[in-house]
Amino acid sequence: MVAISKKKEAPLNEFNQIVAGNSLTKDAWRRLKKNRMAVLGMIIVILYSLLAAFAMFLPIHPYDEIILDHQHLRPTLNKSAGDLMMETKLEDLYFKAWRSGSLVVTEAQSEQIKKWIKDNETNKVWNFCYTEGERQKAAGTFTFSDADTRTIERLQKSIDSDFLISVEKIFWKDMETGKIQNLAKMSYEEILPVYAAITKLDIPTIEAQVLQEKRAQVMNSIKETNPGLSEEEYQSSLDIEMMSIGEKGIAATGKTNLLGKIKTTITRSSERTLKQEIKEGTVSFPIDKKVTISENLSAEIEATKKHSRHYLLGTDYSGRDMLSRIIYGGQVSIMIGLIGTLTSVFIGIIVGALAGYLGGKVDFFLMRLVDIMYGLPYMLLVIIFMAIFGRNIMNLFVALAMVSWLTIARMVRGQIMSLKNSEFVEAARSMGASTGRIIFRHMVPNSLSVIIVYSTLRVPAFIMQESFLSFLGLGVQAPYASWGSLVGDAVNGMTLYPWKLIFPAIAMTIFLFAMNFFGDGLRDAFDPQSKNQL
Amino acid sequence: MSLKPNAKAVLEVKDLKTYFKTDDGIVKAVDGVSFTVHEGETLGIVGESGSGKSVTNLSIMRLIPSPPGKIVGGEVLFEGEDILKVSESEMRDIRGDKISMIFQDPMTSLNPFLKISTQMIETIRLHNPQTDKKEALARSIEMLKLVGIPSPEKRIYSYPHQFSGGMRQRVMIAQALSCNAQVLLADEPTTALDVTIQAQILELISEINNKMGTAVILVTHDLGVVAGMCDKVCVMYAGRIVETALTDDLYAKPAHPYTEGLIKSVPRMDTANKDKRLFSIEGQPPNVIDLPPCCPFHPRCHKAMEVCKHAYPPEKDLGNQHEVACWLYIDEETKKQALQDATQQEKA
Amino acid sequence: MTKYIINRLLGIIPTLLIIITLSFFIVRVAPGGPFASERNLPEVVKRNIEAKYHMDEPLIKQYGRYMFDIIRGDLGPSFKYKDYDVNYYISNSLPKSIVLGICAMGLALLFGISAGIIAAVRQNTWADYLSMGVAVIGISVPLFVIAPVLQLIFAMKLNWLPTSGWYTTGEGYLTIILPAVSLSFAYFANIARLTRSSMLETLRSDYIRTAKAKGMKNSTIIYKHAMKGAMLPIVSYLGPAFAGIITGSIVVEQIFRVPGLGKFFVQSSFNRDYTLIVGVVIVYSLILVIMNFIVDIVYAQLDPRITYK
Repeated sequence: MVAISKKKEAPLNEFNQIVAGNSLTKDAWRRLKKNRMAVLGMIIVILYSLLAAFAMFLPIHPYDEIILDHQHLRPTLNKSAGDLMMETKLEDLYFKAWRSGSLVVTEAQSEQIKKWIKDNETNKVWNFCYTEGERQKAAGTFTFSDADTRTIERLQKSIDSDFLISVEKIFWKDMETGKIQNLAKMSYEEILPVYAAITKLDIPTIEAQVLQEKRAQVMNSIKETNPGLSEEEYQSSLDIEMMSIGEKGIAATGKTNLLGKIKTTITRSSERTLKQEIKEGTVSFPIDKKVTISENLSAEIEATKKHSRHYLLGTDYSGRDMLSRIIYGGQVSIMIGLIGTLTSVFIGIIVGALAGYLGGKVDFFLMRLVDIMYGLPYMLLVIIFMAIFGRNIMNLFVALAMVSWLTIARMVRGQIMSLKNSEFVEAARSMGASTGRIIFRHMVPNSLSVIIVYSTLRVPAFIMQESFLSFLGLGVQAPYASWGSLVGDAVNGMTLYPWKLIFPAIAMTIFLFAMNFFGDGLRDAFDPQSKNQL
Repeated sequence: MSLKPNAKAVLEVKDLKTYFKTDDGIVKAVDGVSFTVHEGETLGIVGESGSGKSVTNLSIMRLIPSPPGKIVGGEVLFEGEDILKVSESEMRDIRGDKISMIFQDPMTSLNPFLKISTQMIETIRLHNPQTDKKEALARSIEMLKLVGIPSPEKRIYSYPHQFSGGMRQRVMIAQALSCNAQVLLADEPTTALDVTIQAQILELISEINNKMGTAVILVTHDLGVVAGMCDKVCVMYAGRIVETALTDDLYAKPAHPYTEGLIKSVPRMDTANKDKRLFSIEGQPPNVIDLPPCCPFHPRCHKAMEVCKHAYPPEKDLGNQHEVACWLYIDEETKKQALQDATQQEKA
Repeated sequence: MTKYIINRLLGIIPTLLIIITLSFFIVRVAPGGPFASERNLPEVVKRNIEAKYHMDEPLIKQYGRYMFDIIRGDLGPSFKYKDYDVNYYISNSLPKSIVLGICAMGLALLFGISAGIIAAVRQNTWADYLSMGVAVIGISVPLFVIAPVLQLIFAMKLNWLPTSGWYTTGEGYLTIILPAVSLSFAYFANIARLTRSSMLETLRSDYIRTAKAKGMKNSTIIYKHAMKGAMLPIVSYLGPAFAGIITGSIVVEQIFRVPGLGKFFVQSSFNRDYTLIVGVVIVYSLILVIMNFIVDIVYAQLDPRITYK
């Protein structure tokens, strides 16, 4: 039945009844729209995907920027990092004051605090000391010692004055031609003389230095991936590695390294000037300006106050923003879910279609293989694989995709077998279509709805598996994050820093919820059993 | 096949209406069906698929899946009592005991996970709690023997999949009659079977009808089956009965054009014009969702008139229990009146 | 029937062989050995150690030796914990994992099947929505989120249950509850959903209609006629469920510090303790294969239509 709904008015019969048929997809879409949870799920999935796709354009802090001063800040709606730092410091000072006896509380309150300490209820102790201390300080019954006051003042000063500089663009003015060039767009050979001019070194020295750095870098990575070799073995594998990297690779690294060094120089010099200006009180943050370092070197810099940041969802143990880590973690998790599913569906379709269409020995062999693999505790093999072959995202993809095509292969095989004898395949064959064409142009598209429904339900399973591995420390590694690794990092300190556990867990759960509802809805919509309830 | 003159009516269906709620609208699967079955009588209900004959049977048993289905009106009088109004537990006592039912597909209608003995004994003991297992088993074996299962003492311990289709339908019949059923509802009992087996099963049903005096309602789309078995026939179309008559009458002088078409479309060996093309009713039965007031057959009817498009025909008694719902047999006066009413209503 | 069982048992052998071979070679092909971290050992000592564990022999000879040992039931010495062999570790930790797994599976089956049946019988009522709502949570919330959250609520905040430990190490029988409940949650959810849908499908089938036409009560129909058929998908789900519980126990044992097999597994993969990894994998696979075998037998027992070939 093909939908004849190009025109608005549908054909009617003698009884004024609409007789137009609906295509399966259209019918399914109509049923899906009626399922409110499925639609909600679909909307949430789309929102998450958009958020993940455009994460780099969002006004959030970088997910991998470590600011040690901002360790473990709690989530807040309106307080800046500086406020929270000050609060933490004050909590600590008030607690110490209670310990030393200078903060006087009633006997009952003291007992309560001791009980909290015994029960590991640290947060309650902090909170109590802070409110009580603030109250007494306001009432004038408590004052800090001189040393404490100095500590507070020092902290306040650094909160007020610490800033972060980021160098956006560096410009170099050629003295002879007077042309101004963006350094990032220059080649390694062009940057070499520039760097030589800035540092007043000669070019061969710099080249040797770059080569040395590259060798050290490669050596480190070799040692990391192959521990336990002898020194000669390391040297020889280093030589082989360097050879394969070649001139081009060295040039690329050289450019990055030199640019980094120039950036550091600029940052240092502008830091000095900024500090001077702050002392004089002539600046206001945030700063976005062009600075001139020397007569032919200039740069665009941005400077923000370090402690005026807001962390809506708090920070982790390295002072990284949880919000952006969750968003970027979602990006990684969703990517793995999608790509993993696509890969496994791809392998599954090919194996299943071949087995189903060719039949006979091919079918027997492929299906025995699938049977045996079904009997394997494959997650264990994935764990071994990850633990031994190194924990990077690529290995994760390979390991997961290798073992998850089994079900889809079986399903496609069943579908193909039942379609094999249908008339339209006979027709295609009788017109001389090739085997490949029959399989992939006629049979696979006809089983697509089953495949799509199954894939939708595979995505959350994939995300779960990835997170499972990341949780064990075998998946995504820092500075990258995935929902699983975020939860895994949080489990140990969950009584002290519950937000580190709760937010990624919620983010992940909502997505999985939505995905499951959407998948279920899709399955119900495509399921012909529920088509007519008569 | 004999019709006793003063037989008591066991089952009377009056103006039964069963509707289904679907996404597209309300399906009036059965819309005002009435008939009477007497003791020892065999009533055939004939119609195309979707005409509501199976739903009629299920409604009598109150086995309409609800939701989406619902019996919205009418009465089903069993021995004078309206069984649509009795409580569910009283209805359970009637089902399988006084009114039994056998279904179209014997392959799926027996529980594949239980032995025949379990399924039969359970039925007997359900309605006769005082019977012990041994008695029930003996009765089951007796019933199996009655329906012609060879060596029933052994076969009773088999699972349904170890029987052929015809044998399973025999088991179904034995099970349905193992209590003291007064009415047997047979819902296309032979459709899923081979032709030779069909004849055997029909033979068995009419034998039982004669021997035990059980009234039978036979639902089928096969006019040949009706001709061989039934005393009386109801022809259904789009949820309504369009014609009721004694079997011989119906074949001799079909009144409704639909019945006429049906009879003509059965291939016959005895008529002379064998080389002629077989008659067929053109078109499709209507979708019974939101059907406007009209004779639902009119687009396919070669005798259709203006009034057929606007009003449903009233029933007309042609004598000798022959009733038909067709405007052809209604006098001009009434037709005009009906047409006028209909146009007025449409305007309003 | 006996023939079927024997055939099925023989079929287990190639699967086990593949698992042993695969894991044996994966761990050895990978770069870095079990003694890599002890880099400062003198060359002679290193040689000695390698000779002791037959690491200096060609790989194929090691493989043959290992296979021979396994047939005798010896999983070899641990490479990392030098004074013990793998058999000792496994016999010590396996019972704990098995108890945990059985508890989790039992909980999942008990609550999953009851919730599923209630949901199917009371379709589209609050009971249906409630149990399916809980089931969707069980499917969507990963184990490693549920476990710490339960731990946070019931052990740390409410202090009802112990945070971690295991009863055999003297920490009371209550220690079993949290890990077993967390581990069972996902399988409870799957079983409940599966039971509901297969029960609904069974209730729509022709033979249930026949039973109704016989005048049977709904409750009788469900436990006498519908149960058997509706349980078949659950039984075939048990195989994958066991595999999942084994993998899940790795996480649960870590979070609740259960001294079971799972804890050793991750640790030994990181340490490249070849014999211990392969040993644990073999034990897990054996459990899984045996479970699948039992599931097949149960399935065949439930469904009279299956003939033994």
